[in-house]
Amino acid sequence: MIQLTDIYKAFEVKDKKTRAKMRIEAVKGISLTVRPGEIYGLLGPNGAGKSTTLRMIAGLMQPDQGRIEVCGLDTRKEPEKARGCVGYLSTDLSVYNRFTPRELLRLFGEFQGVDAAVAERRGMHLLERLHMAEFADVRMEGFSGGQKQKVSIARALLHDPKAVIFDEPTTGLDVLTAKTVLDLLRIMKAEGRSVIVSTHVMPMVEAICDRVGIIFEGVLHGDAPPREILERWGVPTLDEVFFQLVAEKERGIA
Amino acid sequence: MRGALLIVKKEFMELSKDRKTMFFTFVMPLILYPLLFTMMGRLGRNDEAQREGRPSRVWVAGPAPALEALLRSDTAKFQLVDKPAGDLGAALRDQKLELELEPDPEAAAKLARQETWSIKATYDRSDDSSKLALDRLREALNRQDKAWVQERLKAMGASSQLAVPTRVEAQDAGGASRTVGKALGSFLPYILMIMMYAGSMQHGIYATAGEKERGTLLSLLSTSIPRNQIIIGKLLYVFSIGLIVAMINLLSMAVSVGRVMAAEGAAHHGSAGIPSLAALASPATIGLTFLLMVPLGLFFANFIILGGIQAKNTVEAGTALTPGVFVVVILSVFSMAPGIEKMAFLPYVPVLNVSLAIRKLFSQQANYWEYAVALGMTIGLAALMTWLSTRMLKRESAIFKV
Repeated sequence: MIQLTDIYKAFEVKDKKTRAKMRIEAVKGISLTVRPGEIYGLLGPNGAGKSTTLRMIAGLMQPDQGRIEVCGLDTRKEPEKARGCVGYLSTDLSVYNRFTPRELLRLFGEFQGVDAAVAERRGMHLLERLHMAEFADVRMEGFSGGQKQKVSIARALLHDPKAVIFDEPTTGLDVLTAKTVLDLLRIMKAEGRSVIVSTHVMPMVEAICDRVGIIFEGVLHGDAPPREILERWGVPTLDEVFFQLVAEKERGIA
Repeated sequence: MRGALLIVKKEFMELSKDRKTMFFTFVMPLILYPLLFTMMGRLGRNDEAQREGRPSRVWVAGPAPALEALLRSDTAKFQLVDKPAGDLGAALRDQKLELELEPDPEAAAKLARQETWSIKATYDRSDDSSKLALDRLREALNRQDKAWVQERLKAMGASSQLAVPTRVEAQDAGGASRTVGKALGSFLPYILMIMMYAGSMQHGIYATAGEKERGTLLSLLSTSIPRNQIIIGKLLYVFSIGLIVAMINLLSMAVSVGRVMAAEGAAHHGSAGIPSLAALASPATIGLTFLLMVPLGLFFANFIILGGIQAKNTVEAGTALTPGVFVVVILSVFSMAPGIEKMAFLPYVPVLNVSLAIRKLFSQQANYWEYAVALGMTIGLAALMTWLSTRMLKRESAIFKV
């Protein structure tokens, strides 16, 4: 279970021209719950606050206000334990290039406190599931973006996390690799994990997400099944919801 | 500490996968210094042997039979040549001769009258062969002068010791080992500091700003290892690399210098002339030096980690940390200056007091109070920096600076 209660996050940035400090509110009072066996789609334009929200859930950042609970653990009070039950995949298609997938998984198994034999077995199982087993002992320097992403997914799931957070997992991937990722997300749902996926790919959201939240300028809109959102806005696609939000913002409604 | 040690393990594993970096970090110094010093030693000895084995070409401008006879009597050292064509300065510069002597026109008469006569010697101070020619002339004249004085004293029926009322018999209480130790102690801290800082800087940048740039830092931070342990792990890695690099370089340099010194000693003074490195540095000296380098290395590692993590990318980190090399160089050069050890405040200036303490250890003038102050201050400084960096680098603003 992932539970966010009224979380806020702001950053201080410097104006390059005036050198004056500015406060940017990235997340403004978001609350949501993702139950076990549920895939939650987090949508929104670039800079809307999606990645910041996901990083807070993964324990990489702390909210200025509000409370985040993952697997019943408060991310502020028990950050290490909370991180231990989260599998986080960032937007970067990056891995430790000098290692082989097997070495990387073995090392991250140790980081997550997983027994070496278990890490080996589980790591190989994940690589097989992601069609990467034949590359287990190949250095990742020459890997394509898709291959690196698959290894990163295996790394994020190695410690058998109850909560899974994937930030734009199919960006930059070819159709086949993207399908592999989608299949894996369905398996994770079937295994009873709480999954949050951030994406720009609307067909993916409609295909796999049980519920959807749209973040626009740090505020969460929607938080309902995709079909219900479309009905609420009276539009045929989720893209149209975006356009309406922008239009409402321009009219000063949103 | 388990998390920190796992981070150290990960960093060393990454390093071990890069054979080129491994070679340049750990193997290259072991090859470079012996090669460099052996080559320099050989070149120096060959050049010296060539100079010493060849007679100096001297042109005597003007009649001076006694001088000419003196020079002709030692053909191994002098060769009288004709007046060179053109300008004398150019002839010296072009190494057509090494020395031009212009004796007093009344040299023969003055010698007969037992008066002092002078010789004007023109040489090129910038040329070793020309300087050698002048030294040889002085040596030959000195011997001749003594012979002439003895002859005159004998003719007068005076004691042969009339012209030598006193004689100084100097004894070197310090010994050669202290002289060489003092010289070594003045530049050793400089070498150690530079190697520790410069040797670990690139590794520190790779492990910090490099992780940010490559996008791998987030995966590390998303594990259950506490953030301060990740920072401490990286700190320990940079510190270990600095210490290992400094030790390897120092060892290689010591062995190479030792071999050159032994060769020099054998060539000039017999093996007892120049002390071996083992005689210069006792295990206690080496141990105490190492003990001082540990907190200093930690201090440097903190500085590198702070600069590395706060930078947006490796270029920015490199730009931020490179001036540190100059600071270390300036501090080290300052600590090498002659007479610096007499400054009363120096034992209380951080980093510089480490230089001073090492210098005194090697010159066998160890002051244990000053050593304790230097060690205590450096440990305090390293601890303060560690506290500061773990505190500062836990901040989201440092990690997510983009």
